[in-house]
Amino acid sequence: MRKRLQLMVGLAFALLLGAQANAQTTVSGKVVNPKGDPLAAVNIQLKGTNTGTASGENGSFSLTIPSGSNRSLVFTLVGYLSQTVQVGQQTSDLLIEMKEDISNLEQVVVTGLATKIKRGNLANAVTSINAKELTGTTQIQTADGALYGKIPGANIRQNGGAPGGGLSIQLRGISALTGNANPLIIIDGVYANNDFQRTGRATITQAGASTQDDGSNRLADINPAEIENIEVLKGPSAAAIYGTRANNGVIIITTKKGAAGKTKISFNQDIGFGDPLRLLGTDDWTVEKINFFFPAARRQQEIDRLNAAIANGTKTDFEKLFYDNKATLSNTRLSISGGNEKTKFYLNGTITNEDGVVRRTGFERYSVRANIDHRISKNLSIGVNSNYLRTNTDRGFTGNQNNTGASIGYNIAYIPNYFNIKPDPVTGRYPDVDYGGPRENPLAVTDKATNNSVVNRFIMAANLDWKIFETQRSSLKAVLNGGVDYVQNTTLIHMPEDLQFQRGQANPGDVLHGKTEATNTNFQAALVFNTEVKDVSLTTQAGLVRLDFESDALFVRGRGLAPGQINVQQATVQSIDQQFFSKVSEAGVFVQQEANWQDKIIGTVGIRWDKSTNNGDYKKYYAFPKASLAANLTKMGLFDNSNVISQLKPRIAYGEAAGPVPFGTTFTSLGSTNIGGLLGSAPNTTVGNAAIEPEFATELEFGIDAGFFNNRLQFEGTYYIKRTKNNLQSLVLSPTSGFVNTTSNEAELENKGIELAVSGVVLQKKNLRWFSRLMWWKNDVITTYLGVPAYNTGAFGTALGTFAIQQGISPLTIVGTPAIPGGGVNGFTVWGLNQPDWTSSWYNTLNLPGNLEFSFLMEYRKGGDNINLTSFLTDGGGTTNGWFEDDNKDGVPNGRQRPPEPYNNAGRWVQDATFFKLREAGLFYNVPQTLTQKWFKGVVEKIRLGASGNNIFMATDYEGYDPETSTFGATTLANNVDIAPYPTTRRIFFHIGIDF
Amino acid sequence: MIKNKFLSAIIAGGLLSGMTACNPLNTNPVQDPNNPSVGSVTNNASRAQIQFLVTGLEARHRGYVFTATAGFGTFGREVWYLNASDPRWQTDWLGQNGRRPDASYFGFGANGGTVYAGAYQTIRQAYVLRDAANNTTALTETEKKAVAGLAKTIAAYQYLLPAIWRYDSIRVDVEDPLNPGPYVPYQEALAYVSNLLNDGLNDLNAAGTGNFPLILTAGWAGFNTIDGIKRVNRAIAARTFLYRGQWQEALTACDASFMNLSGNLNAGPTHVFGAPPDAFNPLFFVRDANVSTMIVVHPSVLRDTTANDARVRTKFYRRTSPVTVSSDAGTLSGQYQDNRFAANTSPVSWIRNEELILIKAEAHAKLNQGTNAVNAINIIRNAAGIGNYGGATTESALIDEILYQRRYSLWAEPWGHRWIDCRRNNRINDIDVSFDGGTRFTGFPKPQSDVNWDIYTGG
Repeated sequence: MRKRLQLMVGLAFALLLGAQANAQTTVSGKVVNPKGDPLAAVNIQLKGTNTGTASGENGSFSLTIPSGSNRSLVFTLVGYLSQTVQVGQQTSDLLIEMKEDISNLEQVVVTGLATKIKRGNLANAVTSINAKELTGTTQIQTADGALYGKIPGANIRQNGGAPGGGLSIQLRGISALTGNANPLIIIDGVYANNDFQRTGRATITQAGASTQDDGSNRLADINPAEIENIEVLKGPSAAAIYGTRANNGVIIITTKKGAAGKTKISFNQDIGFGDPLRLLGTDDWTVEKINFFFPAARRQQEIDRLNAAIANGTKTDFEKLFYDNKATLSNTRLSISGGNEKTKFYLNGTITNEDGVVRRTGFERYSVRANIDHRISKNLSIGVNSNYLRTNTDRGFTGNQNNTGASIGYNIAYIPNYFNIKPDPVTGRYPDVDYGGPRENPLAVTDKATNNSVVNRFIMAANLDWKIFETQRSSLKAVLNGGVDYVQNTTLIHMPEDLQFQRGQANPGDVLHGKTEATNTNFQAALVFNTEVKDVSLTTQAGLVRLDFESDALFVRGRGLAPGQINVQQATVQSIDQQFFSKVSEAGVFVQQEANWQDKIIGTVGIRWDKSTNNGDYKKYYAFPKASLAANLTKMGLFDNSNVISQLKPRIAYGEAAGPVPFGTTFTSLGSTNIGGLLGSAPNTTVGNAAIEPEFATELEFGIDAGFFNNRLQFEGTYYIKRTKNNLQSLVLSPTSGFVNTTSNEAELENKGIELAVSGVVLQKKNLRWFSRLMWWKNDVITTYLGVPAYNTGAFGTALGTFAIQQGISPLTIVGTPAIPGGGVNGFTVWGLNQPDWTSSWYNTLNLPGNLEFSFLMEYRKGGDNINLTSFLTDGGGTTNGWFEDDNKDGVPNGRQRPPEPYNNAGRWVQDATFFKLREAGLFYNVPQTLTQKWFKGVVEKIRLGASGNNIFMATDYEGYDPETSTFGATTLANNVDIAPYPTTRRIFFHIGIDF
Repeated sequence: MIKNKFLSAIIAGGLLSGMTACNPLNTNPVQDPNNPSVGSVTNNASRAQIQFLVTGLEARHRGYVFTATAGFGTFGREVWYLNASDPRWQTDWLGQNGRRPDASYFGFGANGGTVYAGAYQTIRQAYVLRDAANNTTALTETEKKAVAGLAKTIAAYQYLLPAIWRYDSIRVDVEDPLNPGPYVPYQEALAYVSNLLNDGLNDLNAAGTGNFPLILTAGWAGFNTIDGIKRVNRAIAARTFLYRGQWQEALTACDASFMNLSGNLNAGPTHVFGAPPDAFNPLFFVRDANVSTMIVVHPSVLRDTTANDARVRTKFYRRTSPVTVSSDAGTLSGQYQDNRFAANTSPVSWIRNEELILIKAEAHAKLNQGTNAVNAINIIRNAAGIGNYGGATTESALIDEILYQRRYSLWAEPWGHRWIDCRRNNRINDIDVSFDGGTRFTGFPKPQSDVNWDIYTGG
């Protein structure tokens, strides 16, 4: 093979010399795939020039080459290996066969802010997920939900199964002790808003702070079907050039673009249904159990209720009543894309309408997108991506609450299955609940209460490429881009006045309206200079970045509502619950130098300087250097004689990045307080730290990428050490100071981990192809330095399990009662660790005979402990499945005696969260084109039919709906707390796709 | 080609002018868009700013009300705070199943909650107010004295909260937030409070006469003069002398206070509450509300009532159905709820004429002035409609009687009178834990945050 190539090159040179005298020539031919089918939209470029074209619908192309040119044509198409063809004597009827890029070595990956690099030359383990992997197997509601099991090194959690998102991602462990440790999200160059905006649900349900709102993260707005590619820079070594905000990694989302050629119209419809992935069952009640559970005075009433329920057949499995509803799922997408050499466009409209398994919950998304690229002249091109989104989410009432009963799971934990909660068929009145839990009828809450969020959002990105000059060996271009992400979120939480709990209040009926507006703008300008010095290609980039983030939230509350009214002006007590403004400006400068010696050795050094108005010193620039080196040993001819090794690339990379200081950390403010009709001022109990520094993370990663058997089998192995310093945490002051705390930089962490991936084409026959990829990863974190006294933080305190921050141990260590005075960890018993031992995922895609395509994704996570307080509730209410059984036969039922002995300590709620999940599976059938031609006479080009599923199967010993739940949403430490969550939904779909 | 050059020129020009006109690297410092800074009042504050700080002091001053009522009330078994959503309000506050106060106990947290951290925050506010008033020309010298007198009076009251919660040493020198002084023993702390009250009184004595120069809430109605604040100052002094066992000083303070033997027993300053943006009265619960969260009257209080006691009729309300809550320590049930507040905007008294008369009675009893003690007791008994005292006039019999009257006269006031009464008289075993199987708490250890601060600073 290699010999033949050399021969061809030699021949081409000879022809080149001979051809130089010729005048301009027209070259024409056809591009095909290995099966011989024509390939459209293949980019064809005269090497080193801007002369080019694209292949047409039938794969044909024609290009006029000026005289005296090098006559070298480069054929490129996403998913195929690029190919350089030397045009010889034959100038017409050329047949170019493109080879599929199994290894993705040709794929370009963003490494600088203005440059890209071929994957084959990359010195970092950057994970790329294309549209096919992201959404090709099944329809997933949110883009982050589609990342489960696809990123080695990621730990993804969801608040619960409520529709409309609520996910958090941690990459390579944690780089922070506070905040949420979520990566930076960039969409087409725009710094996207991925906040968990407050909804106020936790205020109305009295669950606590807004971290228990069960709100969505705003990535939920983004339509995953419009995403072409996601790149994940997992740590500072890859993300350093993003500077501040990059210490938790960066997720770079690129949306789809049009391609020159025939206008392509695609219509897709998914119809499906959802049901709960897992229910736990509830415990039955008998006279014997009533006599055990209830105080004497209460027993007869309960026995009467039990007997009546048996006689009337009204015993109810509340889990099924509330959670086991078939949810209808529908997605409709229409996209039109195409263009010509100068202008390319991609238009898309999507309507998603997906119900939840709890009645009156659901998620709707309307997305309209126009991505337009235009070449103004030979040297100047612009691109504009614009996206309008509207999401409408009803997430219902689950999770934590206090007294209000506004949580299904919390409520039914205490109601025996013989109690009738259904409304009286005549009066419509819901029976009052009088058990040990909240005094509220959960059916009334589900039927009448509202938890709604409507988001209107615009994301606009624009970019301009200007080739300032170009010579044979050098070029200079300017790259400008900027964008806006505007989010307006209107929330409504409403508890009608006739609910049981409300009737017990001084002012029955409670409504909270929120309006949150957030605007992110960013601008970047860079110059990129390319030059060839001997065999080394040098790329220099330098530029500046400007970011501005503004938000404005207003929440108004009304209590004591006129019947049926939600306008705050219809309330007895009208109040402003919160008004909050924030404003952050950041600026940075960057320089990066890449050197590439014939794809053999590729080195990069770079540095970024950033400043932020959130930092103690708003003018101080912090430097974030990086350096990386990759060596393609195979390109150096080291394995030329090997039939086995086709690629071997050791690589090493180092980088630094920062985590931003939260807004307001430097302020020592006089808060407002009102009493007796007067306005008062009092110092806030958090003291500003005017010397606060951003969190800093440094990462060294090294690894090997290898390809075997012509890259049919690929291996990628990475080891990293990520050290953080200046970690922000609360420095608790003496309470006698009259202040509670300030923010300090006195902590350091260390994450170490391994990421392995093996992929390859297992089978390749004429009509059969099986691609498989196995990934395995693990991360360990410890607190290497703690400058403040050891403390416990997170979750609900030591009685129910909390986290120990102490030098020398993992900050994810779960400790709790019993106390060990002067011993244990921070004086308490260690019960677990919120960190998996390791995680593994397995992705497969099979092209089967008969135009069938089957793919599936599985994940297994070993170890890691959750704090399962759902069990705490159901044990308290006597409803845990098996509560009245008595495993140790000591006369005390299991529900009152959870091991470990001595039975009433925090350890009973800490549970192993090992699981296996079949995350995605899909089977698709492409109707043969001969048939579509015959049926639709050329109007319809392609029809694709399919069936798929998401969260199809789970196996776990964990006693909850889902081991990956997080009642506190996105939080660094306590993202493993389970309190009566919304059950995770199993989703089954049928698909039809028609291309015109 | 010409078009190209033209475009290039525009872009290049635009870039350059953009850079110079608004340098994208230029950022302006961000001021807090939501609040003024503390620094804005430290020097030359305006009169309005001083007013806001005075009101802020009043707002902070009421922060302890719920915990001192429900928590201290539970420890003294005046009430149970039943709360089904978190059984720890029962199990931990009652000390069930062997639970004992620790350095970050439930309901108080690592910083001691509203009766410790909250009290010191009020003290901090008093100092911020005192200093702001001192460093401005917006107030006259007598006005400055008036403000200082009020600030010290409130601060002194707040010092008592950590003292009675711990019933042990507390820090009293907290002028410098980052260098708090040492813990001083309980009695020494009380002496410090007495001195602070005297300081405040001296300031008020130098503050002229007439109305307090700034606006106070309706909670000071009848006391919003310099003289009125002095009388409140002496009332707090009387309470402090009682706890110090300085009986004669207690009597003197009573006499200088607003005590009125023939006046309304409820007279005294109050914490006011209201609808937002104010805060609701946290002790108010709707009568017969079918909820599982409620402060209920402790069964021992109900058991020990005297027939026809008007206090029982007016303070306790019999619910149509009891509030019942279960936990792993069993089930608790409360039939009676608090009847004192008409609405969630009703004010809460924090020191009353009734208490001052009972202090007078106790001081007389301790000073062997039986007749005076009985006279004072009879004012209370007759107001409650239970007739004159007919028992023995030995000191111990009178103290028995006074402590009994204090149980009903001062029931569930935001102080935990029963708990402190039992401890200061060495009668901790009078607290009846038989209904809940709990524990009698004598006091709380130093909060963890305070312990940690000493570790952090090496102190």
